[in-house]
Amino acid sequence: MKINELKDKVFLHQSARAGLMLVIVAVVTLEATALIQFYFSQKGIKAEASMRAESQLEATRLKIMNVIDQAESAVRNSEWIAQWCLDYPDSMVAVTRRIVRDNPVIVGSTLALVPGYNPARPLYAPFSYQIPGEKEIHYRQLATQEYDYPSQEWFVKPLELQAGYWSEPYVDEGGADLLMTTYSLPVRDKNGRLAAVLTADVSLDWLTDLVGNVEVYPTAFSMMISRSGQIMVCPVESLVMRKTVQETLLDLNASDTSKLGSINRSMMSGESGNVTLKYQKSTSYIFYAPVERTGWSMSIVIPDEEIFGGIRRIGLIVKLLQLLGVLMLILILRSSIKSQLKYRELSERKEKMESELKIGRGIQMSMLPKIFPPFPERKDIDMFASIVPAKEVGGDLYDFYIRENKLFFCIGDVSGKGVPASLVMAVTRSLFRTVSAHEKSPQRIVTAMNESMADMNESNMFVTFFTAVLDLGNGHMRYCNCGHNAPYVISSEGVSALDVMANLPLGVMPGMSFQEQETDLRCGDGLFLFTDGLTEAENSDHELFGENRLLGQLHPGMVSQEQLRIVSEAIGSYVGTAPQSDDLTMLYVRYLNETVPDNSERHLILHNDIQQIPQLADFVETIAEEARLDQSLAMSLNLALEEAVTNVIMYAYPEGSDGLVDVEAVIRKDSLEFIVSDSGQPFDPTRAPEVDVTLGVEERAIGGLGIYLVRNIMDEVRYERTEGKNVFSMIKFIG
Amino acid sequence: MEVKIFQEEGAMSAQLIGRLDTPAAMEVTREVQPLIDNADRTIILDCSQMDYISSSGLRIFLTIRKAASAKGGKVVLRGMKEDIRKVFMMTGFLNLFEVEKAQ
Repeated sequence: MKINELKDKVFLHQSARAGLMLVIVAVVTLEATALIQFYFSQKGIKAEASMRAESQLEATRLKIMNVIDQAESAVRNSEWIAQWCLDYPDSMVAVTRRIVRDNPVIVGSTLALVPGYNPARPLYAPFSYQIPGEKEIHYRQLATQEYDYPSQEWFVKPLELQAGYWSEPYVDEGGADLLMTTYSLPVRDKNGRLAAVLTADVSLDWLTDLVGNVEVYPTAFSMMISRSGQIMVCPVESLVMRKTVQETLLDLNASDTSKLGSINRSMMSGESGNVTLKYQKSTSYIFYAPVERTGWSMSIVIPDEEIFGGIRRIGLIVKLLQLLGVLMLILILRSSIKSQLKYRELSERKEKMESELKIGRGIQMSMLPKIFPPFPERKDIDMFASIVPAKEVGGDLYDFYIRENKLFFCIGDVSGKGVPASLVMAVTRSLFRTVSAHEKSPQRIVTAMNESMADMNESNMFVTFFTAVLDLGNGHMRYCNCGHNAPYVISSEGVSALDVMANLPLGVMPGMSFQEQETDLRCGDGLFLFTDGLTEAENSDHELFGENRLLGQLHPGMVSQEQLRIVSEAIGSYVGTAPQSDDLTMLYVRYLNETVPDNSERHLILHNDIQQIPQLADFVETIAEEARLDQSLAMSLNLALEEAVTNVIMYAYPEGSDGLVDVEAVIRKDSLEFIVSDSGQPFDPTRAPEVDVTLGVEERAIGGLGIYLVRNIMDEVRYERTEGKNVFSMIKFIG
Repeated sequence: MEVKIFQEEGAMSAQLIGRLDTPAAMEVTREVQPLIDNADRTIILDCSQMDYISSSGLRIFLTIRKAASAKGGKVVLRGMKEDIRKVFMMTGFLNLFEVEKAQ
């Protein structure tokens, strides 16, 4: 057990290490793959974001330029008529009115005279305008005490530059807080003198919508600043047109605004670009581009999180999945190691069971006699047995032993296979030994065995069984077959099946009667016993070996060991590599006693006591067996002997005296002689009067029947008185 | 040897089981007294399980037969085995008894 635990530990350790390596490799591979994928994805996403931002910038710029162009064109196209009007100041208002009327993008227009150009009207600036939401075009004179137009940027700059000029955006104070910008164009008179400035006011409200609604990403935002840094569009409305970027940066009071400042400067000077900005822990990407002619610059700010949030979330999910995968891998490894351990345990248990079965088979086989030749000192018997057990423990058995010069032997086959069959086999063999120790009759042996086996047979197993008692003195064999294969008699005349009666196998049911049979073996005759494992041995085509093949292997006169070897080999070569499914059991008994005695003698000495009479029955039975007398004759002999002995006990010895009765039996080939002698007073039974058996009831005498029976049963009856003894002899011819 | 005696309608029957040898016959002599006492009726002797009989046994049969003869009853033998029948035949006893036909 300790060693097994150690083995398990080592195994566990190795498995765990291999598992750990596997997990590490898996983690590294997964992580590397994810990182590479993440890197390229990020790159692609960034490229895409920048493309989207730039295309948005471009689209917005184009839309703005469209409005700007419209306004500029409207003004330029009116330049000539403005020039003409210089000489007719009262018509100047019509020019402005027409500009406002014809151009939806222009909400107001003025034609302002250069001060002093027209002496009649030193300051003159008629202004046409539309109030948002209304169709009507209003008129107003800008040249008032409160509004010094010649000092206004929209008036000064174009004259100074002598070119069209877009003003800084401003909030129209007169109207409804509208964000405005103004395009101003200097107008020269016919002589080429700068005479007036023609303007178009453009509402920039649409710009807030246009730029503010640039939606590259939900949390991205856009800004637009003027050339001076004025915030035109921005998500924080409080800054719009109130602060410049510069002022805002100062207000932020933050430590690191230098990067923002440099971006601002770059934008103000009309450059375009994209910048990654790390500001207060968060990273943003800023894309910016100028709007030509106006001096404005537009930027799109996209938070880093917005661009990479998706891929980061995916990354997180991938990480989680990886973790899950690794966890599952660990679990699978764990259960696999566990199941391997279990498998090892199972296979160890199986090995143990198999080895126990092997031991069991060994014990089983050791119950059978296996020393051959079994009776080396005996010349009258040659026998050999072999059992080749199938892989599984089987239920074949054989047994033999010699008692009182008689060979008791048996062969049997328990129905079924496996451990139950082997247990029944062991029981059967033990029963055979126990029962046959006191019985000489195979019929009585099997009857007693059957009673025991049927009684305890709850598993309904039965045994086909053949048992025989061979008198080694004369070759007489009594046998009883209980459902087993008929053995073969191998004699010089050939091989033939022994005549067997159809008795039921042992253990089927109690109370069965079994028929005994008898035969004589002559010197050299053999009896070949086997189980159906032989005849039912299968080759690889599932064809049976069969009785004919077996008969072909049986040879008269062959030594038993050699005979069994030949049969074994024949079966072996027939079966080939096919698995052996049943036990192969053979028992070969050859009777080799040449000297059957001419006569033999038996003695029995009794006291002169009537109670000893029953002993005569056993005595006669022994003799009848030896002389192979049938039961009927045996009974008659018993009767004659009893009458003779009874006479002695009753008449030769006086009542109360002690004496012996000597009974001698001489068995000859053709006759049987009983000699009853005693040392009592002379008594000649042959002298008794003849009984007349023809008399009727009343006349019949009670006595005298004994000697009458003796005379009738025996062939010769003689009385002698010699040496003080009564010698009464009776002869019966037999055969 | 075992003897079982039954009362039947107008008859007595005795079942003889085992070997009726000399010592057995000495014992049985007492046991069959009821049969002799009732010998005015029909006495059935069931020999179907009797394995052996010697002259002492035959004497018991004769004693019962004589009693029946004296008292006016009769003795019927039932189910004798062949070997027993031979002894009865040999001694002329078969003629002294009524033998029930095999059923």
